[in-house]
Amino acid sequence: MRLTGLSVRQLAAVVCDRLEWHGFTAVLTGGACVMIYARGKYVSQDLDFVVTPRGPLSRIETALAELGFRPQGRIYVHPDTDMVVDVGNPWPPAVGQEVLEVPAPRRVAGHRLRLLSPTDCVKDRLVAFYHWNDRQALEQAILVCLARKVDMRGIGRWSRNEGMEPKYRQFRRELTRRRRATCRT
Amino acid sequence: MTNKSSQQRTAILGPLLGSELREWILLCLLTREEVYARALAQELGFALLAVQRQLRALEDGGVVYSRLRGRTRLYRFSPRYPFRRELEALLNRALEALPKRERERFYTPRLRPRRAGKPLPR
Repeated sequence: MRLTGLSVRQLAAVVCDRLEWHGFTAVLTGGACVMIYARGKYVSQDLDFVVTPRGPLSRIETALAELGFRPQGRIYVHPDTDMVVDVGNPWPPAVGQEVLEVPAPRRVAGHRLRLLSPTDCVKDRLVAFYHWNDRQALEQAILVCLARKVDMRGIGRWSRNEGMEPKYRQFRRELTRRRRATCRT
Repeated sequence: MTNKSSQQRTAILGPLLGSELREWILLCLLTREEVYARALAQELGFALLAVQRQLRALEDGGVVYSRLRGRTRLYRFSPRYPFRRELEALLNRALEALPKRERERFYTPRLRPRRAGKPLPR
């Protein structure tokens, strides 16, 4: 199948739909969600899916092979795109200690796509900032907050539950500073 | 493949986890925070390959994550694992249930710093 010219959202939907068609439940997580929500302000090359059931890998390989993806180590590559697919992420979809409800599929150009909500996407990025002090992840969380409506109270509650209130305050300070800078320009 | 040191350890969660080695690896992770395969293999008395296989399975399941430091791959509990707190609580209970001598073996080697050149107490 030709995948040239597809946006990340469309490509993710094509992959997700094919996996769902084969009986898997697949949820898009990680940097690709940031890319979709931050409207091109961030570039990722990974389509990270959390997939269940985990059965034999050959079933997933069959599904992805129908789209032209072939395995390369633990990822799947396609000649038409630089994006790679990773389906090795363990179920359930979670952000830190919080297990997420499986998102309902959305329709994207006729394909089903399940992906983290903007709020969960922010939490997902903040996990890396909270636990590994990853500044890139903080930047990604901020980009999503600047571009989309997120449940900041929910993020605050979740941060406290993760035992990360000081770092949550740091995130809020940085976000406020960026919002002001955006207003000025 | 096991040797004498592994046979002298008690496994409490082994039936639940499907492997005594996995239990001991998890207990080492709990008490040390960071482990690497070769040291675990030597300490637990298992073949390096067996330890690596368990660590890889735990990593695939999202329970631990790894990163390279030099040529050594170090493993830690993953903060992204949603059942980490519950797992740590279970492991703590298992650790408490071990005979004192065995429990203390999970607390070695010493983790607090000691000035270079100062001999370690025997």
